[in-house]
Amino acid sequence: MSTSLLVWIILAPLLGALANTFLYFYHIKKHKVSEIYFALIGTITPLISFLITLNLFLQMLEEKIIFKQHIFTWLSVDKLNIEMSFLGDNLSIFMSMFVTFVGWLIHIYAIGYMKNDDGFGKFFAYFNLFLASMLILVLADNPIILFIGWEGVGVCSYLLIKFYYGNKENVLAANKAFIVNRIGDFGFLLGVVTLFFALGQIDLSFGTIEANIENVSKELLIISGFLLFVGAMGKSAQIPLYVWLPDAMAGPTPISALIHAATMVTAGVYMVARFHFLYSGIEEIGLFIAYIGAFSALFAAIIATKQTDIKKILAYSTMSQLGYMFIAVGLGFYSTGLFHVFTHAFFKAMLFMGAGGIIIALHHEQNIFKIAQHRANLPIIGMTFLIGVIAISGIPPFSGFFSKDAILAAAFQEGQYLIWAIALFTAFLTAFYMFRMYFIVFVAPNHHSSDYIYTSKTITLPLFILAIGAIGAGFLNLPSVLGGNHFIDTWLGNLNSKHIHLDHMTEYVLMAISVIVAMTGIMLAYSKYSNFDVFKPENETGFIGNKFYIDEIYDSLFVQPTKAISTFIDKIVDTKIIDAFIMYSSITFINIGKKVAMIQNANVRFYAAFMLVGMTCIFVYLYITLGL
Amino acid sequence: MISLTSYAFVSMMLFSIGAIGVISRKNIFVIYMSIEMMLNGINLFLVTFARYHFNLDPQIITIMVISIAAAEAAIFLSVIILLYRSRKSLDTDIFTTLSQGEKS
Amino acid sequence: MADLIFIALAFFAITGAIAMIVYKSPMYSALGVLVTMLSVAGMFALLNATFLFLVQIIVYAGAIMTLILFILMFLNIKDEDLPNEPNKYKLIALGTAIMIPLNILVLKAISNLPSKDLSISDSDFGAIKPVGLELYNNWIISFELISILLLIALIGSVVLAKKRKSKLNSKED
Repeated sequence: MSTSLLVWIILAPLLGALANTFLYFYHIKKHKVSEIYFALIGTITPLISFLITLNLFLQMLEEKIIFKQHIFTWLSVDKLNIEMSFLGDNLSIFMSMFVTFVGWLIHIYAIGYMKNDDGFGKFFAYFNLFLASMLILVLADNPIILFIGWEGVGVCSYLLIKFYYGNKENVLAANKAFIVNRIGDFGFLLGVVTLFFALGQIDLSFGTIEANIENVSKELLIISGFLLFVGAMGKSAQIPLYVWLPDAMAGPTPISALIHAATMVTAGVYMVARFHFLYSGIEEIGLFIAYIGAFSALFAAIIATKQTDIKKILAYSTMSQLGYMFIAVGLGFYSTGLFHVFTHAFFKAMLFMGAGGIIIALHHEQNIFKIAQHRANLPIIGMTFLIGVIAISGIPPFSGFFSKDAILAAAFQEGQYLIWAIALFTAFLTAFYMFRMYFIVFVAPNHHSSDYIYTSKTITLPLFILAIGAIGAGFLNLPSVLGGNHFIDTWLGNLNSKHIHLDHMTEYVLMAISVIVAMTGIMLAYSKYSNFDVFKPENETGFIGNKFYIDEIYDSLFVQPTKAISTFIDKIVDTKIIDAFIMYSSITFINIGKKVAMIQNANVRFYAAFMLVGMTCIFVYLYITLGL
Repeated sequence: MISLTSYAFVSMMLFSIGAIGVISRKNIFVIYMSIEMMLNGINLFLVTFARYHFNLDPQIITIMVISIAAAEAAIFLSVIILLYRSRKSLDTDIFTTLSQGEKS
Repeated sequence: MADLIFIALAFFAITGAIAMIVYKSPMYSALGVLVTMLSVAGMFALLNATFLFLVQIIVYAGAIMTLILFILMFLNIKDEDLPNEPNKYKLIALGTAIMIPLNILVLKAISNLPSKDLSISDSDFGAIKPVGLELYNNWIISFELISILLLIALIGSVVLAKKRKSKLNSKED
């Protein structure tokens, strides 16, 4: 069933980005435009997308249809047939719903955050472009169009991380993000190419791939599944391609909230879910994905316990929660993983926005100890922050509990006890470091009164709305053991995900264990940090504090050799060998030319002699041919 | 016996010696006189064939050639005077400003 | 009898030519050319071209060579003004090598023609009247063009040799 509205979900922010671009050029070249216009265009377009998505969602709820829209045929060469068409099925509309909603709220937040910045218009143009790319990724009907969106979000992430480009470190961080993402993209593209060659002559949309997947041999499936996951490793910051995510915090906080918490980094999880028909057939790769997720979660949690920058703590916690999502989708529980994506979007965006509010209230201070030393009275931010921290730690009845617990139960059900244990320990660490952050920033005494600082409505209103989501989103997928309707599981039913079928006793025990573990973490944090002396801050030292020296290892293993090879090729191969060769050929020609030019020495007798020689040759020839 | 071949021989000798003179001498006068020598050799050839075929046309052509040689003499000698005035030398090898290699 | 005269004339012609290219001083070369031209005139006479015999002596030997000698003496050439020609004989040898194939070709070709008697004939072939009639009947256009050419040569030589005040002075500066 096709409808002309589906493509407008993407076109609205895309046109908004274009309009803001032209308006920004006008602003800097001709006549200053007031910020209100940029903000209006920037925030109305995500709202339009959200309303269209809501409309389609309600239609799908009633009539059980899916939407497909074919725009044009992009490329049709011999066996390769790529259509520009978009698919609005349950999974796409589900993703699109929270992407547009949270995106809209963060756009509103950004109005207050980026106030009086010189590049206000530019920011909203990039932001809308990012949203459009993410929607292309989510609504794509074939992997190539998905890849357009995939790369588009990478580009927008780069543009926005280096938004404050005056400072060179921000640019370096943006380069790092883009380059590491590219490595992932390369893997993704190789995976798609492998699929194309394996499947032969089809039009590569998801439906036809799903229909023909049984014809592909298991080895090729394993190869392409692994390569596609390499792309997810890069985009969703799992081991080993995670190094860009902490550095990406150099960008303004709204983009940390939207891109690096709620949307772009979940693209990897979405991709695995979208290719569910591929991954269901290769359990080994699924297990590999789950293990990578588990280790990433643990690794990030360990590092986060020693970080002192508030945004970096949140970045590592994002990486950790993404690990949880990959545990779920790796083991085949697609809807469970996506449920965690959904709840995580709400509380993580809220945490980032709260952190952003604190940062600008204290004039761009990001170290938690310094924030504590100069603590201001920010009641609304404090309350929403607390809600977010409780949610992420997995305390019922907040949303994080339901989704995280479902993942733990899934791992237990599959018999993957090692993964379950790692996930449980990570939950303990998550509670610990999140509450460490909360206690230091808001509770630990600093021996003087804190002043109340006003935060604008554009910051507090989205925080309110997201808080409601963080609290209530869990109820959308209550497991049947608690008498719920597991709405999301049924909504995403066409993914053939596995469901949790433990008997109720085991489930209650597992829930109890996870709650106890979380409470233990909170107690430990309370005992250590609620009375912490903030004037003697912890420093980032030691093995953990230096993030296991991974950045330095990557630098010496990959960056320095590449630089050395490039310098070698530039200075020696390019200059001495290739250039010398070309210069040698041209100089040879010039020298030959100079020698030949000596014939033209302006000596008339010489010319006459040459003419005679020429004539003589003719006469010799005549003599021979006339046969005299 | 005097035959066609003997006259042709003399005529070709004159022509060849004229050609050799053009390429081997540097003195401008000698070059000019070699050119006249070549013309003379050809005139002799023409007149021989006039007698051979009993046709007067080659003789008329010879008259033309002699007239043109006269005109050419006038121009040539004016140019020699000009060249002598500008460079004060009779050497033809010194005019090399149009050359691609060494210039004088 | 005619043969002996021919052989003598041929000998003088070739000797004069060789003298022209060998001598260093242009005066001697000019005298060599003169001898050659007179011999050629004699050979014209042997070939029944009596009018051309006259024309050759009047124009070539009398006018052109005189002009050359005149200019030669006008320029007041001394021995040290003459160019230095170290490779004269080598170049002459080279030139001989270049010209030999042409000669062989032409003489071979000529010797294939049927031979005829080239002794002086009695008819008025080559006398002034038949030549004149032929010239003015069939070759009138060429005749007119030649006269225009001579006019142009006349004007040209005056223009070229005139002393140009502005250009020459700037050159001699």
